[in-house]
Amino acid sequence: MTVVELRPVRRWIRRTQSAHRDRGETATTAYVVVFSILVLAAMAQETLAAVFRPLVPDLTGSGALAWAAVCAGLLFATLRRLGPVTVSRPAAYFLLTAPVSRRRLLSPTLTVATFGAALAGAAAALGILGHAASTGSIVLVATGAVVGVLLAVAAATAQARPRASRIADAVGRVAIAAGLAVLVAEEAGWTPPTPGGWPPAVVVVPLTGLLALVAAAGFLLAVRDLARTPNDEILDSAKTAGTLADSVYGVEPSFLADMLERRYWAHRRLRSTRLSRRLPPLTAQDLLLARRRVPRLLWAAAATTLPLLLSGAPPWLLAGTLLIGTMLVARTTTAAVKTDATNPVLLRLLGLTSRRALWQRLWVPAALGTIWATVALGLLQVTGALPPGPWWPLGLALGPIGAVAGLRAARAGLVRNDLLPVETPMGSVPTGPVLHAFAGLDLLLLALPTVVALATAAPATVSLLILQLGLGYLGVHAYLTFTTSPDRVELAAR
Amino acid sequence: MADHPAVEVSDLNVSYGSTPVLVDVGLTVPAGAGVCVTGENGIGKSTLLRCVSSLQRPDSGVIRVFGGEPGDRPDFWRAVATTVEPPTWYPGLTAHEHAELVCRAHGQDPGEAGIDEALERFGLAGHADAIPPSLSSGQKQRLTLALVLLRPSALLILDEPEQRLDPEGRAMVAGMLADYLAGGGSLLLASHDDKFAVAAGAEIVSMDML
Repeated sequence: MTVVELRPVRRWIRRTQSAHRDRGETATTAYVVVFSILVLAAMAQETLAAVFRPLVPDLTGSGALAWAAVCAGLLFATLRRLGPVTVSRPAAYFLLTAPVSRRRLLSPTLTVATFGAALAGAAAALGILGHAASTGSIVLVATGAVVGVLLAVAAATAQARPRASRIADAVGRVAIAAGLAVLVAEEAGWTPPTPGGWPPAVVVVPLTGLLALVAAAGFLLAVRDLARTPNDEILDSAKTAGTLADSVYGVEPSFLADMLERRYWAHRRLRSTRLSRRLPPLTAQDLLLARRRVPRLLWAAAATTLPLLLSGAPPWLLAGTLLIGTMLVARTTTAAVKTDATNPVLLRLLGLTSRRALWQRLWVPAALGTIWATVALGLLQVTGALPPGPWWPLGLALGPIGAVAGLRAARAGLVRNDLLPVETPMGSVPTGPVLHAFAGLDLLLLALPTVVALATAAPATVSLLILQLGLGYLGVHAYLTFTTSPDRVELAAR
Repeated sequence: MADHPAVEVSDLNVSYGSTPVLVDVGLTVPAGAGVCVTGENGIGKSTLLRCVSSLQRPDSGVIRVFGGEPGDRPDFWRAVATTVEPPTWYPGLTAHEHAELVCRAHGQDPGEAGIDEALERFGLAGHADAIPPSLSSGQKQRLTLALVLLRPSALLILDEPEQRLDPEGRAMVAGMLADYLAGGGSLLLASHDDKFAVAAGAEIVSMDML
């Protein structure tokens, strides 16, 4: 078979595309992007300094290793989610099926992914070094970059071998879980074994050099084996990258969320089971959905310990994490509400009123949110991270609040890009994406008494508990009453 | 409910931009009877069905369903079942569980509603554990019809239900619609297949005559 040279084809595509652009448009785009990054970096200077170079280093040797494991696991998971070997959607349609060299077709994305992973690895190493109490060699930043390259090579290898990829993904998840477990245990008072300080430069430099050689060889082998990457894997990653671009360009996060949801269920093998007869039908459906999302529930259970990591952080950050965590856990089963809010065809088939439907949809998210918030607050209380008093009963109020916040976010539907932008001294702010981002979060204001108590380090009292329970239940009831109707089926946000 | 015709449409006008699609259309579907509107593509069959289902607002005209105005009310949607809209599906729920959910929401006992028999008759028994998005377009069409026929209703509004069905499937669905009419239900459908409409027991009315 004749293999067509890819370079002239790509050159022709680029030339034709640029013929449709205005003169200097590419330069303008590059200028805007670089300028925006510089402005944002200048604006977030203090935050960046806090992330990379805090005034008081706070990590032990074990903590630094744990953060390294977490960062490596997250970077690997991101690379696997994005491909890392991919092509654009038009290229997937026109070039993947053409008689061109697959290696030449696919190698640019692997190069970009590897470069990005190296940058991310270096940034993670810089951040960890900045937080570490004892000073490590700056060469470790280069080690971080090399580890990033190795992770990109490992991700590309896993993509080409779907069976081995399961093991690789499991290792990545274990690295994240183990790293977080060590960090949480340290916060809870566990004294980790001392690793013996940072390795000296005479060890780090040759080791990094050796790793760099391995990484370079691995990269070359990965490029050589690119043609072995299965088509379905490339098409999947092309769709992911395209949908991600759509989400960013259209400021519409639901494109990506919907695709991930569809893909998750498409890969599951389900067996039909009976919906619980003792529960209302939609509650029984949500309960079944929760039972089918055991991995997510296990992560949520493990995440009850994460607020412990923030016990030394500003109180508002701890309060925000508690509330957003409760809302995210409650959203485990709100996908059906999103389906109904976007298109009420199934609600019409079910013939339920919007009020009945939403009440039935509330119970499982409220139960999940309540359990999570109660356990998270209980752990904070037991470890002495909170002022004195019974904090855990506040979970009984935060759970339903997180649930209605989750329901409201699920009912928000698509971002409205038809709303007028607001002009500010910093430029015009699009209203639709901002409103969409805050849909749901706004209802977390119902937890204001708890937030104020946490922010002022006030003790938990019975009056705080009664106030929070009363406000929470009134707010939940008001939301469900005033945004639904016994005479209407449609569930879209009001 | 039986005192009124199932569907009464008079002086209905709908246009898309400057193109009129329905002009002074009138139609009556007596309670307990079936009517099939036929006509070439683009003549407005689906638009008429969407207006009757309250899914599209006409420019002018009067529409009554069992004497009342169609709308987004629960009582309307408990009486009317339709396949006019493209279906959506709940994530993480199998075809069988969708059927069970529909039965439960209408107070039916899933065991007695005949879900397994319905899936069997629509050739979906082997796909009961599949999530609907993974089914072919024809299978999705059959599942939608199965769900609509499983739940209780007084009026069925179906847009070309014979589409994507093989000849055996068409005969079976027509037989089920005839049973539905014999059980006292009313039927308004749009179709290109006169034989199918006759087998379903529906009176054929051309859009040109409305």
